[in-house]
Order: sequence, then C-alpha cells, then structure tokens
Amino acid sequence: MFQTAQAGSSTPPTLGHKDWEPRIVALICNWCTYAGADMAGTTRRAYPASVRAIRVPCTGRIDPLLIVKAFEQGADGVLISGCHPGDCHYVQGNLVARRRFTAFRALMEFLGLDAKRLHFAWVSASESMKWATLVQDVTTAVRQVGPLEDWGKLSDARRAALSLPPMPAAPREVPSAEAQEATARQLQSLAAKLLGDGQASVVIGYTAGPLPDQMVPAFITRPEDATKLGWNERCYNDLATFLPEAKRKWPKVAVALKRCDGRAAIGLLQEHQLERDKLVQIGVSCHGVWQNGQLAAKCYACDGEVGSASDFTVAADGVHEGAVAAATKRTVAADPRDARIAHLEALPAADRWAFWQGQFDRCIRCYACRAVCPLCYCGVCVADKNQPQWVPNTIDAKGNLTWNITRAFHLVGRCSSCDECARVCPVDINLELINHRMAREVETRFGYRSGEDPSASPPLATFRPDDPQEFIR
Amino acid sequence: MSHAGADSTAFRLTGGELTEWLAGLLREGKRVIAPVEEAGLRLFRPVTSPEQICLAPGKTRLSPKDSLFPKNEKLFSYAVRGDEVTLETPPAEDREQVLFGTRPCDVAGLLRLDTVFLKGAPDEQYAARRSRTAIVSLACESAEPECFCTAVGGGPAAEEGSDVQVLAAGELWLVRPLTAKGEALTAALRGRTAPSQEEWAQARAGIERAEASLRQNPVAREWAAVLEANFDLPLWEAVGQRCVGCSICNFVCPSCSCFDVHDGGNAFCGERCRSWDSCTFATFTRHGSGHNPRPTQPSRYRQRVLHKFAYYPQSNAGEFMCVGCGRCVRHCPVGLSIYESVNQIVSAAREQS
Repeated sequence: MFQTAQAGSSTPPTLGHKDWEPRIVALICNWCTYAGADMAGTTRRAYPASVRAIRVPCTGRIDPLLIVKAFEQGADGVLISGCHPGDCHYVQGNLVARRRFTAFRALMEFLGLDAKRLHFAWVSASESMKWATLVQDVTTAVRQVGPLEDWGKLSDARRAALSLPPMPAAPREVPSAEAQEATARQLQSLAAKLLGDGQASVVIGYTAGPLPDQMVPAFITRPEDATKLGWNERCYNDLATFLPEAKRKWPKVAVALKRCDGRAAIGLLQEHQLERDKLVQIGVSCHGVWQNGQLAAKCYACDGEVGSASDFTVAADGVHEGAVAAATKRTVAADPRDARIAHLEALPAADRWAFWQGQFDRCIRCYACRAVCPLCYCGVCVADKNQPQWVPNTIDAKGNLTWNITRAFHLVGRCSSCDECARVCPVDINLELINHRMAREVETRFGYRSGEDPSASPPLATFRPDDPQEFIR
Repeated sequence: MSHAGADSTAFRLTGGELTEWLAGLLREGKRVIAPVEEAGLRLFRPVTSPEQICLAPGKTRLSPKDSLFPKNEKLFSYAVRGDEVTLETPPAEDREQVLFGTRPCDVAGLLRLDTVFLKGAPDEQYAARRSRTAIVSLACESAEPECFCTAVGGGPAAEEGSDVQVLAAGELWLVRPLTAKGEALTAALRGRTAPSQEEWAQARAGIERAEASLRQNPVAREWAAVLEANFDLPLWEAVGQRCVGCSICNFVCPSCSCFDVHDGGNAFCGERCRSWDSCTFATFTRHGSGHNPRPTQPSRYRQRVLHKFAYYPQSNAGEFMCVGCGRCVRHCPVGLSIYESVNQIVSAAREQS
C-alpha cells in the first residue's frame, strides 16, 4: 500500500528542468474540500494539475504519519484541507485535527523542513474558487523551493559542520556523599516498611550496578533486601518506565520517583495505564543527575521538589507522608535546552534540516529511545507494524527520518521531559531538544504542561473552539 | 595472548610517517575506514585524509562490523514488465578497503562474523567485501572499566585476524605485518628502520598496563554446557528482569550477526533488503499467529547470553561468541552486564547441584 515509489521508479526531474512540475499530495476531507474541488472541476475553473488528491473521511482521520509517508514517497509538498471549524460532519473531527496540525507543523519547522512545503486550509463544498486559488498558491510556493531532494538524504559535507553551543556551568554542586547516603537510608527504611506491612509487593528503586559507580534499576520484594537500595546523583533511569509491566506482575507497586519521573507516572495515570490505588509513589528529593561530571540538561531549571501526587517524600532528613517541599530551595538556572533550541532556530531552515538529518543518519534503530520511554507503552509500536509497513524497517537515512519524526510526534503533549531517550541513545542524538521544543509549543499554544494533573485530558486528545489557527488558510 | 616480541619484519614509524603511509593507501584508491570523532562520539568512518583519524586510547561507540555487515543492505531488486520479470543483484564490491585502528576485540568480533557468514555456504556479499578487506589492528595501552577481553580468550594485543598490527610506543608507532595481505599493505614501508629493543619494551609496557587492569576471572569453556543445562533456572527471570527490550547490546556488538530480511515494493518493482535485527526485540520471534516462543523480556535476554556463551561455543570448538569489548555493558540503559549474568547463572547452578 505504501511502498509504491520505493524502488525502481523513474527518477524525478530535478530543479533546473524546465518541465519540472511539483508533486503535491492533497489530503482532503470527503465532506467539504473534496466537494469543493469537485465543484471547481465541474465549473471549469483552471488550476494546476500538480495536486494528487486523496480523499479522507475527515481531517480528524489524518495521522501526521500520512503526511510523512507522502514526503517519503516523493511528494514535494503536502496540502491538508477540510471543513471550516464548526462545519465538521462529525462535529469536532477538524478541531482535534487542528491541534495535531499545529504540533506537527511546529515539529517539522523545528526539524527544518521548508514551511513552503506544508500547507493547511479550510475549504468548504461551495468554495471552488478558494480551492482553485489555494492550489495555485501552494503550487507556486512549492515551485519556489523546488523538488524535495533531501528527504532522508545527507551530504557528507554538511554532516560535521553544525554543532550545538556548549553546556553552561551547573547552578549547583553534587550533594555530599553523607546527604545522599542519608537519603538512601531513609528510602531503605520506607521500602522495608512498605514491603513488611503489605502496602507494596515490590519496591522499584536503584541499586549498585556492575560497573564502577553505576546505579541500575532494582526490584525489591523482600523487606530484608531493602538495604540493597541506594541513592545518589547517578540514579538516571526513569523508573516509571517499568510501571505498566510491573502492574501485571505485582498487585501493589511502590516506585522511587525523581521529579521528572513523577511526571511520567502522572502521564501513565492520565492515560489509564495504571491504577492509582495500586501504586505507591515515593517522591525522592533530587538535586539532579550528573553524568561524566556534567549536570543533566533537564536538571538546570528543575527545583527538584517531589511530584505533587507523591504518597511519600524521601529526603535526607526523613520520610514524610505526602508531597513535602524541601526546607532549602535548590539553586536553579536557565534551561540549557532553551539556549540550544534558540541556537538551532536562529539557523536557516536548510541548516537545521541538515543538522537533524546528520543526527538521524547516525540512528541505528535500536529503539532504545522507545524502550526507556515511560510513555511508550503501546503493545505493538507503529514501527513494528508491517501490514502496511508504516515506518520503513530499512536502517537508512530515510527510514530513520520517518522513525524519528513519528517518535517525536507521538510524544507531543505527553513527554515528561525525563530525557532518558537522549541519555541512552548510543549515537547521541539530541532527542531532548525535540521533545523540549514540542513541550514548549504545547504550553504556549494550548496552555498545557504534561505530568501535572492526572485528571487532565492530553492536549492532542482534546480541543478548544478558539485554538489558534493562524497557519490555516 | 601472543606477545609482541622483537620482530625483525616490523617497522618503527613516527606520527608523520604513519600519516604518510595512510595517505599512500588512500592515494592507491583504497577505502580507509578508521575511528573518527564526530559530534563528540567516536565512530568508524571512511576517511579522506589521515588527519581525521583518532587513535586515542579507547573504543569507538559502535563496532566496525558495519563495514562488512552493513546495517542495511540490498540483496536484489526486481522489476516486472508485462510477462517478464527481471532480477538485479547489486554490483559486487570491488574496492579494496582497510579497517584501520581496529581494537583486538573488534578484530575478534569480525572473525566471529566470518564464521557465521563464510562457514558452510558463504554469503556472497559478505564474502566479496571480506576478501577485499585488510585489517590493521591497534593494540590497547589501557582498558576501560567495561572491558573483559582476557576473560573470553582475547587480549589487548591479540593478533589473530589482523593483517597488520600497530603498537604504540610513546610518540612512535610499531607496525608489524602479520599476513601476506599485511606484507602487501606495508610494501611502501620496506626499508624502514626496525624498532629497537627499548621501543619494543615501551610498547610491551603499555600492553602490560592494559592487561593489569583487566582483572576479571576467565569464563571457563565448560560453562557453555552448564549454562545450557540450566536453561530453566528461575534465576534467569531475576537476571533479565530489568531488560527494557532495546537492541543497543546487539547493535553495538562486534559479533552479533542476526538480520531481518524484508521486501519493499509493489506489483511492478521492488527490492529485498536485509537489516540488523536483534534477539532482544519481541518481534524477533513473534509468529504470524501472534504466538511468541520467547514471550518475556528475560527469556529474550537469556537467548542473547546463551547464544554468546553456550550455543555458539558448542558448535565452534568452544570459542565464545562474546569477545569482551564490553560495549553492551557500557551502553545498556539499565546496566546489564553479560559477564555478570554468566557468572550469576553459573554460580547459582553450582549451588543447586
């Protein structure tokens, strides 16, 4: 179904060819734009033949993966059009879609795809004139930027040329070993108590790993094993990742959560992956995680307070019931991810595109980003579906681009910013910047921050009638 | 391990002379693949100039296996025109390549790939590439915390599989051709000075330093049978419990050779490709029916351990498939160590019996 242009097809004519015609895929709603386009035809309005229209039942049906597939298969531009807000045949399909398009457009812009290649419009059944003008304008725009020749292709010359600004100095120091050990002891006593009196059948925490100074996830099921638990600045893993699986194995699960991990647990509760009364959230007072002497980017601006939904707060000074703020506030600084994002956004789109393609080109599709992500809990990931093969399983620049766009988009409004995907990436792809950029988009556009309210609807699963839509014609 | 001794066929080169030699290989049209620093990580890449090469202590992030067993490879393409079907195989590799600066563990990994791809019915594409590949290994002067090559039969100056061995001696490089291919590769160096006794001693001191920091007890060959016999040991569940099911271990591994074959195409044209696959993925063994004979992550992790330390050795004269580079240990998101797992299972099995 989606493999038509993969191999052996004739090479598309390139820029400079006088007879090059843009190939534009239009995904259009059956109920309005399709009828509008039809009317344009029956009323003999002339417009360029560059558009391949694909009729969908509603713009709400348009998974951004369809747009990605269009580009992957050789489209030079994509046009999405549906019913005006308020006119949806299914009442609100286009309103939910609008949020999705807002996010997807921001994602593609951040990755550096030229904005002239991606267009959105509302065209009703009676607006045949608007349709003809729209196609004319979109064709002109795509013609200006020429054929899309660098989708999943990278010139070696550009690979190394682009880099990120260095990390600024950390706003705080690693806490003293005594303070960390005190926290560990408090955690051990709480774990022993929870396991002893049956409040939990497992406590997921950290223990010493096989390499020097390494901390790894541990599953403690007996009170006498609680002393194996440790706590220090190297407790990297987001233990919320283990919760959906642990829920199937143990009736009551207690888990040690840093601030960021607590947000992931809330995300899982929000998406009904966990049951609140079978989960004990142990918020651990955190001063940030350090790797190779460097404070993690996610920690600079984090105040380290435990999540508001914590059942217990564990700190060096003791175990407290509920979420309790630390006596002394941690020093915070500007989030270095913001500076790096600003650096990338100041670049011309083409350079940004080269930067990200250079990063994705290294991807080996180990799917560690997915495996460690607490919010990637799907039974069968779309990347593993092969009827049709949505995400190409070829480990090359093209398949890698589709995978990385898909991963990023599926986490929009859900990512808890634990940055574990970026930490574990064996080829150092800066996934944290993509996730963080999208978190900011969701916050500015929809006033939503993930991982704060277990009763809130995820932002892309809902809408407001007055959501911004300045990018839609 | 064999000891780099005073070798009369060896050459002593300054940094400049080494560069000159490599530049010569590039001028001859050879593809030189060597460790290169890129965006803060070291990877094997084809180089255009010797200055790009990084020979600092330590390993590359990924093994060099991609140069012989690409992560993605076209096997053939097809086209249908009317009643006629044409098949086209990709042109055979005809360019000579030199894998330069390969660590001994990585060379050992390539030898394991040779066993998999060349023994019995040879894999044509691998064989074509392999016959045109010369391996220049670089002995290790230091070991990283995750390294355990000496525990699985390797060593910081192991020679097996290398056509040329390079050893660091302070500012100098000692170059030892070890095979006919290596002789040919170093033809341009003929007539250069042989290293002095002091220079050999200096090189040996580096190797001994590396050996001294590799303290892990050896994995005994007899353990292969013990591991397999204890396939059902309940401890496997606890050992693999934290495995999250990515494939970092298998994809950074120099000896993992599994691949997935897939077709992409339509009624008119298409191609068949193979790409790296991993036993740690649930999809690796999931049947069309949905049944999965390795239903849990610990059972998949067990497969990885047993393939390296039980199944492969039993059909390959006891040689382990694991070469002890430790990359899987270093990069595992949850800190699983295959060396530790083997030891855990074997000691539990002993206690039980």
